[in-house]
Amino acid sequence: MIINSMRVAVIFGPGRTIKPVWFDWHNRKHTILETTYTWIDMKGNAKRLHFAVRDEGCLYELTYDSAEQTWELSGLEGG
Amino acid sequence: MHVDMNAFFASVEQAANPELRGKPIAVVGGHGRTVITTSSYEARAKGVKTGMAIWEGKRTCPELIIVVGDNKKYTHTSTRINEIFRDYTPEVEAFSIDESWLDVTHSLSIFGTAENIAYQIKARIKHLFGITCSIGVAPNKLLAKLASDMQKPDGLTVITPENVPRTLEQMPIKELCGIGKKMQRHLNTMSIYTCGELGRCDENRLTRKFGIIGTRLKEMGQGIDNTPVVQFGKEDDVKSVGHSRTLERDIDDPAEIRRFLLQLSEMVGSRARRYNVSGKTIHLYVRYADFFSSWGKQTTLKSYINLSDEIYRAALGILNIVELGQPVRLLGITLSNLKHQAEQLPLFEDERKKLFATQAMDSINDRFGRMSVTFGSLLPGKEKAGSHVIPPSWRPDGVKNIDVQ
Repeated sequence: MIINSMRVAVIFGPGRTIKPVWFDWHNRKHTILETTYTWIDMKGNAKRLHFAVRDEGCLYELTYDSAEQTWELSGLEGG
Repeated sequence: MHVDMNAFFASVEQAANPELRGKPIAVVGGHGRTVITTSSYEARAKGVKTGMAIWEGKRTCPELIIVVGDNKKYTHTSTRINEIFRDYTPEVEAFSIDESWLDVTHSLSIFGTAENIAYQIKARIKHLFGITCSIGVAPNKLLAKLASDMQKPDGLTVITPENVPRTLEQMPIKELCGIGKKMQRHLNTMSIYTCGELGRCDENRLTRKFGIIGTRLKEMGQGIDNTPVVQFGKEDDVKSVGHSRTLERDIDDPAEIRRFLLQLSEMVGSRARRYNVSGKTIHLYVRYADFFSSWGKQTTLKSYINLSDEIYRAALGILNIVELGQPVRLLGITLSNLKHQAEQLPLFEDERKKLFATQAMDSINDRFGRMSVTFGSLLPGKEKAGSHVIPPSWRPDGVKNIDVQ
């Protein structure tokens, strides 16, 4: 994990879809150009939603903990 | 119908990371180990094979990109894909994390043809996950699997009943699911190289050589297979509960081996308790650092157990009577001779306390995640988890749905 609490803007769409659109990291707003992959796992009985997203330079893994209602930056590649 | 995900782990990684698409990549189990779990088609085209060490892969294909696998991604994707299958038929049997059989016989009145179902499945998987699969459609499981292997990647092969003899006539026997290298060698010594030859072989000759499976072999050569697709929840009761782990590095320190044994015992015990089974036989498996030498021994107890410390003590009892010849690469514990039981409260106070403590530990771990509460000697930092490999027995549901890291 790189950051365990961060600001992420998302669109809750129809069909219970969640689409992250930007996040704050290193005092900068990163606009998400594409969500390349999503997956879910469980930590105990808390559902954790993972999003592989990319901005203009890097690939990030954002994780939403549905029990804690927090977002974390769990992975980073490139840049 | 048989569905086989193409280079599954590598395809998922390429879908998740656009930088990897179209490039030769190899997926490995963890940072500490060096064996290639699977590779992309671009890497396979350059000679990279599953099971190669990273250095061998790099020597074969210098531009090979090594990616550490993320099992949660794969198990989630596999579970979702199996849910898609169940939109077309309830009769879905997961063969492994990346292969399933579907019996669509009773769905044809809704969806038209099996090819139509296959095209829809392929399109939905591609749309949702950006990965491809090969599908085989045939009159039975054996032929459907053979068909799915005939066109990779992204294939769809149909073997109709009237095409079965023609398809099998020149097909090498090794292409049949269930005929391994050893069986192939035996059959080759009988001058049997193709399925056509196997199907025409005198049954008595086969049974003299192989016993009762001789009949089965002849049927396989003829493309006959009557085994049903066994759907989720209708499988036979599990026969054993086990875990094995390749260690992060080879170890010879007895204290470290014992700690690892305790961790495995806790994994086996907690899964057995979750599914309310207990067993009498404990099997310990050790593979040495040279990769090729190994041993397995078992002990059968007088009573059924599923508490982690009891499993640990039984496994340790086995370990203590063996002198380890080399550092250890892999350890495995299996609990078998199972009883699917209703829980029984122990008579004695100490036993009851131990049971209640275990139940409290299990319910905390169920709520907050595995190993949230564990034995002191397994505290973070002391635990050397090793590489995490999804076992072939993994299934999307039930006792075989192992929580892989």
